[in-house]
Amino acid sequence: MADAAFLALTVITIGSAIAALEMRSLIYGSIALMGTLGGIAGFFFLLDAPFVALFQLAVYVGSIAVLILFTVMLVKRELIFKKIEDRKRKFAGIGLMLIIMVSLGAVFLDSGIKTITTDEPPVDFRDIGADFVIYYWPALILMGLILAGSVTGALILARREDVENDQRVS
Amino acid sequence: MSVIAPNFKLSGFIKSIIDDAVWFLLIFSLIGFPVVMMVLFVIPMPVIDGELLTPFLAFTYLADPTRTLPIVQAFMTTDMFKIMAFPGFGFAALLAAGTIFVERKMLAKLQLRVGPFYCGKVEGILQLAGDGLKLISKEIIIPAKADKPIFWAAPVLFVASAAAFVALIPVAPGWVVADVDMGLLAVFAVIGFFPIVTILSAWSANSKFPFIGGIRALFQMVSFEIPLILSLLGVVMVTGTLNLSEIAASQSSFPWIVFLPVGAIVFFITMLAELERIPFDLPEAESEIVAGWLTELSGMMYGLVQLGTYLKLYAFAALFVVLFLGGWNGPMIVPPFPMELATEGIELGPVTAKIGGLEPLLTEVITQEMLNGTLMFVLKTVGVIFFILLPRGVFPRIRVDMLLNLGWTKLIGLAFVNIFIALALVYAGVLGPGGLQ
Repeated sequence: MADAAFLALTVITIGSAIAALEMRSLIYGSIALMGTLGGIAGFFFLLDAPFVALFQLAVYVGSIAVLILFTVMLVKRELIFKKIEDRKRKFAGIGLMLIIMVSLGAVFLDSGIKTITTDEPPVDFRDIGADFVIYYWPALILMGLILAGSVTGALILARREDVENDQRVS
Repeated sequence: MSVIAPNFKLSGFIKSIIDDAVWFLLIFSLIGFPVVMMVLFVIPMPVIDGELLTPFLAFTYLADPTRTLPIVQAFMTTDMFKIMAFPGFGFAALLAAGTIFVERKMLAKLQLRVGPFYCGKVEGILQLAGDGLKLISKEIIIPAKADKPIFWAAPVLFVASAAAFVALIPVAPGWVVADVDMGLLAVFAVIGFFPIVTILSAWSANSKFPFIGGIRALFQMVSFEIPLILSLLGVVMVTGTLNLSEIAASQSSFPWIVFLPVGAIVFFITMLAELERIPFDLPEAESEIVAGWLTELSGMMYGLVQLGTYLKLYAFAALFVVLFLGGWNGPMIVPPFPMELATEGIELGPVTAKIGGLEPLLTEVITQEMLNGTLMFVLKTVGVIFFILLPRGVFPRIRVDMLLNLGWTKLIGLAFVNIFIALALVYAGVLGPGGLQ
């Protein structure tokens, strides 16, 4: 069951990634990108990490893909860039990708990943939270400060001074 | 005189019915019955009273009503029943349908109109069925330059997202379709799909009104998602869990709205915006952009989107109930079932009627807690839905910049205030470990 799900997710993720690259239509390309990100969320589910998986869905599919769609829809229909389609470049790209994948795979397989036991119980997200608060508190505070700064910045940016304020019937 | 079918003959009508019946029986016995048998071979059947349920045994059960209750009980504990009927789609669709009718009638009363009146003679009670029949029988018109795959898929995806949202709501103790450990995070993930479906549907229609409506829906939903998520974090802090069933169970003494009223108010306002209800109905503003992103949808595609919208309304109201109003908790008002009727039978003079299988059904599945929890949940949900409907009769639509200003400055600030209130309550020891609960 897990193997079948893994295979299906692999096909979905890699297939939609290739589709996202190759599609001429920008909208369909971004939908395919959503498929890729959703497939990655599925991998996290398979790895007993539902916390990360749901955040992947909420943040990447729910927000980032929406931003990409939004931007794409405001683009004019005509192509802004000149198409450079060259079979040589295409095959060179595919070859380069295969070389990188094979070498990365060799490194992973050589690193002893096969000896890891996989029947450990899943880590509870509360333990991760406790670790963050106890051992990694400086990093947590730093992240909190950065996030608070960015939220405050967003609030300030969103709060524009209205130029037409005196035209408004209040 | 005009007649609907001038060439109508009763004998021809009867002949056509008999023809249909014969063809049905022939095709079913030749193809359908073997297919049913083959499918039953694969499905794991329940064991009832120590006997494996085979199709032949099922026929004997049908003939003996006292032996059918165990089958009903076995069916009610399956996932299929939960998904399709009780805490899932069927229950939610029933409440959603009731909401549509109550909305139309109540708004009419609020605005001194009559509302639906003629369908079904009594206060237009059959208006909804009439509307449904009309939508099903209408032609689906696709705009000539629409992007057809996305345009067809969007209403279905919308209903699917709404159904996924409904599946996460716990109705009574143990009665939830998907009891996820990260229920609230799953809710956030599901909410994120609605703007995608909306904007894709709007873009694929290739028409200006849907596109403007879709863009409005997109930025409204995306910008109100942030205060929505932030306003719910207070509840997570005081309960220490993300599981919706545990959050509902943790409110047995008092609902969280007592301690976190600011969060409840922020959540309610963002809920109105996410649901595109008045005063935030900019995406469907019918006086500006025809019907917003629904303009090009026709027939049952519009019906599906409408069903999805009201399912989403039910799910949001139910989420408010689960998080802030105590879910299924409440005074026990359902009386206990007189169990001696089930164990000893009903005595009618010389005759004693004993219904077999009633006792395990009443003690294991339809218990008093479940009935009372469902009743409490439905009462609270209906109340919240009433408050969601109410602004439609009163408020005008607000402007886009006012909407964004409200979402980005006021609501996010209030959500942070709510988080600090929750933190203070936990650190002061009022709530949480060592506190009241």
